[in-house]
Amino acid sequence: MTRELTSVSRREFVAGVGATSALALAGCTQDTSGDGGLSGEVVVKGSSTVFPVSDKMAEEFMSEHGDVNVTTDSTGSGGGFENHFCPGNADINGASRPITDSEIEHCGENDVEPIEFQVASDALTVAVNNASDVDCVTFDELSQIWREDRTTTWSDVNEEWPNQEFSLYGPANTSGTYDWFNENVVGEEYSHTADHQATEDDNQIVRGIEDNENAMGYFGYAYYQENSDRVKALEIEQSEGDGCTEPSLSNAKDGSYPMARPLFIYVNKESLQREEVYEFVKFYLENAETNLVQDIGYVPSGTDLRDENLSKLEENYDA
Amino acid sequence: MATQDGLETSREGDQQVSRMRGRIFEAMCLAATAIGLVAVGILLLYVTADAIRPFSADPGWHLVFFATLVVPSTGFGLYLYARDGNAGKVAYTALGLGLIGVLLAGALVILFVEIFPYGEWFALSIALAILGAVTVVHRRYRRHAETERTGLLIVTLLVTVFGIPPGAIAELLGLPFYIPSVRGLIASSPVLPLDWIMLVPSLVLPVAAAAGWFVRGRRESNRAGLVTAGAVIVGSVLGVGLGPVVGVGVEGWMLIVLSTAVPLGLYVESVLRRDEGRLGLLFPVVLVGGTLLGAVLTRTLGFAGPDPWLDWGFLTSATSTTPADAGIYPVMVGSIMLLIVIVLTTFPVGVGAAIYLEEYAPSSGLMGRLVTLIEINIGNLAGVPSVVYGLLGLALFVRFFQMPTGSVIVGGLAVGLLILPIIIISAQEAIRSVPDSMREASYGMGATRWQTVRNVVLPEALPGILTGTILAFGRAIGETAPLLMIGMAASVRVPPNGFFSRSGAMPRQIFQWARQFDPAFLNGVLPAGVVTLVFVLLVMNGTAIIIRNRYQRGS
Repeated sequence: MTRELTSVSRREFVAGVGATSALALAGCTQDTSGDGGLSGEVVVKGSSTVFPVSDKMAEEFMSEHGDVNVTTDSTGSGGGFENHFCPGNADINGASRPITDSEIEHCGENDVEPIEFQVASDALTVAVNNASDVDCVTFDELSQIWREDRTTTWSDVNEEWPNQEFSLYGPANTSGTYDWFNENVVGEEYSHTADHQATEDDNQIVRGIEDNENAMGYFGYAYYQENSDRVKALEIEQSEGDGCTEPSLSNAKDGSYPMARPLFIYVNKESLQREEVYEFVKFYLENAETNLVQDIGYVPSGTDLRDENLSKLEENYDA
Repeated sequence: MATQDGLETSREGDQQVSRMRGRIFEAMCLAATAIGLVAVGILLLYVTADAIRPFSADPGWHLVFFATLVVPSTGFGLYLYARDGNAGKVAYTALGLGLIGVLLAGALVILFVEIFPYGEWFALSIALAILGAVTVVHRRYRRHAETERTGLLIVTLLVTVFGIPPGAIAELLGLPFYIPSVRGLIASSPVLPLDWIMLVPSLVLPVAAAAGWFVRGRRESNRAGLVTAGAVIVGSVLGVGLGPVVGVGVEGWMLIVLSTAVPLGLYVESVLRRDEGRLGLLFPVVLVGGTLLGAVLTRTLGFAGPDPWLDWGFLTSATSTTPADAGIYPVMVGSIMLLIVIVLTTFPVGVGAAIYLEEYAPSSGLMGRLVTLIEINIGNLAGVPSVVYGLLGLALFVRFFQMPTGSVIVGGLAVGLLILPIIIISAQEAIRSVPDSMREASYGMGATRWQTVRNVVLPEALPGILTGTILAFGRAIGETAPLLMIGMAASVRVPPNGFFSRSGAMPRQIFQWARQFDPAFLNGVLPAGVVTLVFVLLVMNGTAIIIRNRYQRGS
C-alpha cells in the first residue's frame, strides 16, 4: 500500500518538475548583466563635527547616484586617522583640525598620501547654564578654567563671578575639537584638563550644562543652534579690550568671532583615482559653498575656497 | 513527658519564626520581580508611546476602532475562554500562524531581494537537488558503504555548491583560477529565467510536494494529497495575474501564499478534520474584519489616525538627515545578515566544543586538569567587556586578514567571538543535564560512543542547547560596542549585497540617532528604531520557545 502510494507520488513529482523546467527553458528569460552606471563604494570616517556635513553630502550624492554606496562614520578626527584612514581602510577622513606630522608619517608608512581640503568653518561655542550671570569670557580666563592645574571656582577666575565650583563638560581627547581648543585657547604650553566630563556625544554636553547651574562646556556651533533655548552661549573676547563677540555664522564668516576654526576633509590620493571617489569629492567641494552647509550650522567655504579646492582636486586626479 | 512537652513548644515556637522569615523572604522576592518588571515595562511603554504616538490620533479614531476591533475581539475571546477551551486554543494558534506567516513572508522577500537573489537560490536548489540525487542513488546501490558515501557527499558538495577549491578560499589565497561549481555557473549565467519562473521549481514545487505529502499521510488518500499539492501550485501561479493587481508583485504573492496561506490552510484542514474547536477559526476573521471595518469607517467619517514615527516608510527607507524621512531598512538587512554569519559560525563551533568538553575530553589526570582550566577560562571569557572583542576583531580580521572594515563578515565574526563562550557554556549545561543512566543504557546495548552521542545525548540535549543559543543570538543582535570598534559605519544607505560588503546594523544606527543634534531624532526616530529591534528580538525569543517546546514534546 505504502509503496504504491510512494511510486505514484514520485512519478507525478518528476513529471511536474520536468514540465516546469521545460517551461523555464522555453522562454521567459531575463538579462542578468548590469547597466553600467557609476557604482562602487566610498568610505568616509573621521571627525564627529564634520560628520553632519559629510552625511548630508552622502545623502544628496546618493540621491543622484543610487548605485554608489557612500558610508559615513563619526570616529573622531584622530581616531579616524589612526584606525581607518592611515591604515588605508578609508577613502576620506573628516577632521576638525589640521592633520598632525605624526599622522602624516603614519599614513606615509602605508603609502597613503592625504590631500587636504578645507570644506567649512565652525564657530566653536562655549556655553553655560541659562541661569548663569556670566556673559563674556576671554581666552585667558578660558585657559585658566580648562588647563590641567585649573582653578576650581568661578570667583578664582574673575571676582565678579559666583563663589561656586565649576563642573566642566567637553569632548574626549580623541576629538579634533579637543585638540583645537587645547592648542588655540588653553595654550600650547599647557595641557587640557582631564578633570572634566569627557564624551564623544555633544548632546550629553548640552544635557550636562542644562542640568547644572555651575556647568560650562564647549562644542560646535551646530549643536548650539539646535539647542539655543536650553543653554546660553558666552560671548568671547580674544584678549582683554578686544570687545566681546557672540558666536554666530556671520561673525565666524567675517572673522570677528575669535573661536572660528576651519573644518577639513582629507582624501587618500590613491582612492581619488577611482571614479566614484572623484565624483563624490567633486560634489562635496562644489556643495560645500552652498546653503546645505549653512543649514546644518556651519559656515560655507565661499567661492574662492571652492575654486581653489576644485583646481587642487584636478591636479591630483590623473585620469 | 515534661521534657517532651518542652521540646514540642520550642519546636512550635521555631516554626512560627521560620514561617515569618519565609513570608518576608517571599515578599522580598515578589518585590524584586515587581521592581524589575515594572521598571522595564515603564521604559518600554514610554519608548513605544514615543514611537507610535497614539495620542496624535482623533478621539473619534480611537472610538471607532474600540467599537469595531477591541470590543468584538475581546468579547469573542472571553466567550471562547469561558465556553470552549479547545476553540480558544485553535483561535490563538490560527492567529499565531497567520502572524508568523506574514513575518516569514517579509523575511523571505528581504532575503530574496537583498541577500540571496532568486537566481542564486535557483542555482543553489539545482545544486542541492543533484546532491540529493547522488546520495539517493548511492544509498540504493551501496547501502552499507557509509564512509564512502560521506566522502562522495563532500566531493559532490564541492563540485555542485562550492567549486574546487571553494570560491571564498580561492579568493583569499589569490589563486589565479579555480573550477567553478554548478551553482556558480548557473548563477553567473548571462541569461536566467524570470524570477517567478525560477521560484516555481525551486520553492513552489518542494512546498507543494511537502504539503501534499503531509495531507496524504493525514487523510490516507492519494487523491487528497494530489489535490493539496495542486491547490498550492495553482494558488502560487495565480500570482502571475493577481500579484501585480494587488500590488505585491508575482514573487511577493508566491511567497505570501507559501509562507502564510499554505500553513494556515493545512491548519484549517486539520481543525476541520478533527472537528474540535471549529469556532476558534472565526477569531482571526473577527480581528481582520474589525480592522478593515474600522479603517473604512474612519476614512469615511474623516477621523485622522495617529501619525507614528514607526510606520511603513520607516521600515522600508534608509536613514536620512531629515528625521521625518529616516528609516531603518538597510541596517535591518545588515543586522539579519550579521545574524546569519553569527549563527553559521558560532553554532557549529560552540556546540562542537561543548560536545568535546563534555563527552570526549579527559576528566582525570594532568590532561583533565588542563581541561578544567580551559573550562574556567571559557567562563572568564564570557565576562570580558564587549569592546575588547571589537578590538580583537579589528586587529585579527581587519588588520591581519585584510577583510574590509565595517563589513558584515567582520562584524559577524567579532560579535560571534563575543557570544561563543556563552554558547559553549549553555550547550555544556544542556549536555550535562542528560542523565548518565541514558548513556550507560546506550553503551549497554552495544552502541559506540559516536552512536550514543548522536542518537541519545544530542536529541535529549537539543532543546536546552537551542534555548541557550537563541538567547545568546538575542544578545548578539543588540550588541553595539564591537561594531563601533570594527568600523561599522554610522550612516549606511544601501543594504549590503554580500557578506564582504560594508554594512550598518540596527544597534549601531540607534546609537547614531542618539547623537544627532536635531532632538526629533532622539525623541522620535530612536524610539521607533528601538521598538523595531525589540520586536525582532521578541520574534527570535518566541521562535526559541516554540522550537524548544516542539522538541520537548517530541521526546
